[in-house]
Amino acid sequence: MSERDPICEDDAYAYGDAGALLGRAHEWSYRNLVPLNASIELTLRCNIRCLHCYNFDRDEPRAACDKPELSTPEIMRVMDELRAAGCLFVALTGGEALSHPDLFAFIDHARKLNMSVQLLTNGTMLKAGVAARLKTFENLMGVSVSLYGATAEVHDAITQMPGSFRRTWDGIRSLRHVGVSVRLKYILMRQNAHEAAAMRAAATELGAPYLMDLTVTSRHDGSNGSLETRVDRQQLEDLYRGPLNDLAVRKPHACTEENFPCNCARGNVGITATGDVIPCVSVPWPAGNVREQPFAEIWKSSPVFEQIRGFKIADYEHCAPCDHKSFCKRNRGAALTASGSYTGIDPFVCAQAELTHQLADEREAASQGGAAVASAPVKARLAVVR
Amino acid sequence: MTMPNETKAASFRREDALPYQRLDEETIVVDPRSREVHLLNETAARIWELLETASSVDEIVEALGDEYEGAPPEELRREVETFLADLGARGLLASRGRA
Repeated sequence: MSERDPICEDDAYAYGDAGALLGRAHEWSYRNLVPLNASIELTLRCNIRCLHCYNFDRDEPRAACDKPELSTPEIMRVMDELRAAGCLFVALTGGEALSHPDLFAFIDHARKLNMSVQLLTNGTMLKAGVAARLKTFENLMGVSVSLYGATAEVHDAITQMPGSFRRTWDGIRSLRHVGVSVRLKYILMRQNAHEAAAMRAAATELGAPYLMDLTVTSRHDGSNGSLETRVDRQQLEDLYRGPLNDLAVRKPHACTEENFPCNCARGNVGITATGDVIPCVSVPWPAGNVREQPFAEIWKSSPVFEQIRGFKIADYEHCAPCDHKSFCKRNRGAALTASGSYTGIDPFVCAQAELTHQLADEREAASQGGAAVASAPVKARLAVVR
Repeated sequence: MTMPNETKAASFRREDALPYQRLDEETIVVDPRSREVHLLNETAARIWELLETASSVDEIVEALGDEYEGAPPEELRREVETFLADLGARGLLASRGRA
């Protein structure tokens, strides 16, 4: 598995009523170009081989030209540099972050730097002792655990690791037992879409916040076998009209020059396992490398980041005239990997926006006509706080 | 920190490991244990800075008095004491003891 930056879409999940204050902080970082949120890929190593992994095709050997991964001292130094630049929230991810032998040292280093940590994991290595150790870190905001089904049969077929479903749930229970905050992140795919309702029921029964995420993109190594796991158009509609309906229907958001750009290279930044600095962990567009340049220099003056920050709505030539843009999540990582351009499009994301718009119109029409409508609450994103 | 005598006022220090970040004049403090977020205004943010090292109410009032010219010392003292009590109630102070 490889987890994405949790701050892009669903940061409020972790903080409950504090979401408004955090929203203010995020707006400040967006306006002032302070990397308040950083994701660090500690390693690309992983103990499972998910079919949809966006890092690289885990059924193939790694490319020989890969640069060596950052060493522990290098990662520590990057954390220092991030903190100096104003970073407050660090997401530690992978690969599998728990496979890094110095994970605890990184969390402790973040503690000394007064940074909050969110750990992103597949959960299979969360033995009781590991959970107890995680509990000792006062700066650990929580652990986000990825799940790919409601049954072992479906989940394990995606991870290609028999027993992974059981191990992940054992890990979740270990965390809950010691009092570490857990969020479940369900990735919905062609193979598990039929279990969507059961996934939500399992999270509800656990009493944990959860996210239903349909994001599957091409891989950062350029391969696109992962896309074979993406739900198709019919499945998407079935989900949006069925088990995800209360999450999928949302109000339109205004599209102005001020708010159209996402948080990429504004309040968000990603550091890859080999030291590349990218606008967000989902967007593989290197602006520099921390082995060659200080982070602050890359952040302030790299041509890539300057270009991203300079885009106007009109530069998104497909999006600018689109009737559905007020309902679109504008996933830049999906757009970049699908089209080769940061300002391009991913047809799947377009389909999501179109369908969301359609559902909103249908609800509005039903409401005006006085027809009976299922009274599910309108949510602004596919995330649920429980 | 050396205190001159036992009757000196209590000293206060912020929790070492709490994540925080200055946002211009304000400071945001995140408490993962309670999952609460606190936003400190300009004066509170300055006191938070002073609490990096153990400080007494007198020391904090003195420092603020130098920076906020014209502010009546008694008013400053009341504000500082109220804020420290608030921090303590929210579990954001590391230690509090007679020096």
